[in-house]
Formats: sequence, structure tokens, C-alpha cells
Amino acid sequence: MKPRAREAGLVVRELEGELLVYDLEVHRAHRLNRSAAVVFQGCDGRTSVRELADRLQRALGRPTDERWVRLALGRLARAGLLESGSTGPDVAAGVSRREVMQRAGRVAGLTLLLPAVTSIVAPTPAEAAASCVVNCSGQAFGTPCSNSNPSDCGVVCVCNGAGGCVLAADGITPCP
Amino acid sequence: MERLDRLGWTAEVAFESYGIRIGVRVNRPETLEHLTTLFPPGWRPSPGPVVDWLFSLLVGETQGRVRKFHMLYAGITRRARTLDLEAALDTLEADLRQIVAAHARRRVFVHAGVVAWGDQAILIPGRSRSGKTTLVHELVRAGAVYYSDEFAVLDSAGRVFPFAKPLSLREGDGIRRCRAEELGGVSGGPPLRVSAVILTEHRAGARWRPARQSAAAGLLALLGHAVPIRLRPEPTLSALEKVVSRAAILKGPRGEAEPTARLILERAADWGRGAVARAG
Repeated sequence: MKPRAREAGLVVRELEGELLVYDLEVHRAHRLNRSAAVVFQGCDGRTSVRELADRLQRALGRPTDERWVRLALGRLARAGLLESGSTGPDVAAGVSRREVMQRAGRVAGLTLLLPAVTSIVAPTPAEAAASCVVNCSGQAFGTPCSNSNPSDCGVVCVCNGAGGCVLAADGITPCP
Repeated sequence: MERLDRLGWTAEVAFESYGIRIGVRVNRPETLEHLTTLFPPGWRPSPGPVVDWLFSLLVGETQGRVRKFHMLYAGITRRARTLDLEAALDTLEADLRQIVAAHARRRVFVHAGVVAWGDQAILIPGRSRSGKTTLVHELVRAGAVYYSDEFAVLDSAGRVFPFAKPLSLREGDGIRRCRAEELGGVSGGPPLRVSAVILTEHRAGARWRPARQSAAAGLLALLGHAVPIRLRPEPTLSALEKVVSRAAILKGPRGEAEPTARLILERAADWGRGAVARAG
């Protein structure tokens, strides 16, 4: 398997080793931490998972393995940042963070190093200025909402158009 | 539009704000003077007859027991139909600001409160009712210079300009508007570099102990409040990138606004020095 990152329709900015990727097609923005960024930048369709793991290990300066890369690929695929068909079906299922952490043992700061992709739906002009709602009943899809933490508004949680307040990243999971 | 045009418009005014030309026509000329108080900060009369956006305000008249609705249109879209003229005017004011924020040329509007401390600015992104106005209010009372309680107006270099409309302070169910000067503060002046972006929300009993965030985390957070991000993604990202690449990004819940404002200003000088170092 030699995964390939999407190039068309993306605006990519590198900031201190992390990446901010804006998807012009679906107006979603993704923050890739350093590990996810290394994997994303290495996905050129010619580099294998094993080679990506070596590259990641050199970049982080600590032991990693193919599970780290598969975890990153799963996150990147879910965010729509990989060319469809460039990864095997097992990548979509991915490797869980817990699995990788169990293998890596207890290491200080490990959770910060694990590949992570944080996503938001970019607000429409009206949404950017809109008030946050705590009840999504009757609210349009994308209206910023929160169930408990006002800082979740819009950035983390949006109304799903069916009365639910859900995570913006997947549009399904109920907002905490 | 033709049906709308046939209504009895007796007066109109055109103005320009951030490169956007907007016209407002009314059926009662005496309304015009009040309308200008609703225009975005920094507006100036537009000399030409051509506008990018046209609003029509039909003030309903009361004849005996018959009360007619006040109607507000943006183009041909009805924006308000109400017996409360103030409600129609509130909608007009909000729509005017919204249009300018979304379509301003050469500026990026981010929903945020802004104050200046020394020669640098502090940005507090947040939506309506997130408590940012309360925090801006306390910062101004503590000596910061008021720039905005609604929008951070950025240029392509990431400098922030004042958008000093009166502060809208929530009091019970209502809103009280007051100028910074009424709070013993001053309203801002020149465009400034940003030294800190504060991501916070009120949590009862909390003490503000923010954690440093990465520049990318700051960019993602600002992007969630950037009005034109879908309309002009690349210039918007560029301006925001300039901000986060030099500013300290701080995230954490806050308690009451007054002690938080004091803590912010105690640390503002450090952030300013850090921002200068990062830019250098």
C-alpha cells in the first residue's frame, strides 16, 4: 500500500511543523499535528507504510512503528485528505489510539505525539456572527451549538438540521 | 423588485464602508437622520448612484386603530415585518454590519473583541453571548484601549484596525449601549500587531490559567470565527496566519471578567515582547 494525499482543492499552510489544511470543496479545515503532518506530507503514492514509519521515527526522534502510520492514515482518510483508493480498506477502519498507546507503553507526552487531526466546518458568514444555540430544534444545519461547553460552539459542535447538536468533524456523534 | 420600486420612496442615502457601497431608501425622510447612527463605524457618504446592496425600509403608519407593519427588505428579500420599529432598525443595523464583514475588500473580519495594550493588540475571538463583550468592557475599565467588541478587522499583514462601535452590554434581557469613554476608557487609533489571541469562555468559579496552544491550533480557532472564510479562503487564511505566527495563543476557561482582565493586562507586556521576538 502506497497512500497518496489529495492535492486538488486543498489550501495547505505549515506552522511550526503542524499543518492547517483547508478543503475548498467541502469548506472544512483540519489541523494536523506534527505526526499526522509528517505522514500526510509523505503520502506521495510512491512511499510505503514502512518507509513512512521510518520517516516519522526520524522526524519525531523516538521509536514509532507502522501502527502509528496506520493511525495517521485512518485519521487522514476520515478527514477526506487522501486520494480514494490509494489506501487499503483496513485503513478506513484504522488503528485505535488506545492500541498504539498500549504498545508504546507509558511515555510522558505520548498523547501529544500520537497522530491527530482536528477538524471544523468553516462557518458561513452568517454563522460566524451567529449566536450559539443550546437547542438545535428548528435550527439550520451548521448553526453553532453547545451542550455543555460554550467554547465548543461552531468550532466543535454544530446543529445537524434534525434537531441534534453533533460534532462538526463527523456530523454524527452527539456533542458532549 | 419592480413591485418594491413602485412603493412610495421619498428619501435615500448611499454610503461606502470598507469598499462596499450600500444604499438605504425610506418612505419617511425624517427617518434618514436616525439611520446614519446605524451605519458601520468608519462609513462615509458615497457620491455615485450605483450601490452593491440596496435596503428598503417601509415605515408603517398608524391611522386610528389601524397599525401597519414596518417592512425591511435587503434587495427583494424581506428581512423584517414588525410593528416594532426598533426591531426593524436592529435588523437593519445587524445586516449592514454583516454585509460589510462578509464582503469588505482588502480586510478580513473575525468575530472577536479587541483591545490595545501599549502598541499591540489583544484578540478575544468568540460568538455573541460568549462573554467577550463583558471581558472587553473590564479590560477597557482597567486601562486598555477599546478597539472593538464585535469584529477584529485585519489587513493582509495581520494588523488589526479599530471597529469601535458602542459596546453592547447585556443587562438582564436587554442590551445597553455605551461608548468606551463612558466607561472611563478611550477608543482606539492606529492599526496594531497582535500580541495575544485569548480563547476563553466564562465558567462559574474558574480561575483563568490558560494553556499555550500551537500556532496551527490558534489558526483553526480563529478560522471558526472568520466571517469571509468561505467566500475568500486564501486571503483569509493568509491574514490569520500572520496573526498566529507572532501572537501568543492562550486557551482556558475564565471566571469573573474583572479579575481575568487584571491577569490579562499583568501578562500583556510579556506577550508583547514575545511577539516582537517571534516576528524578528
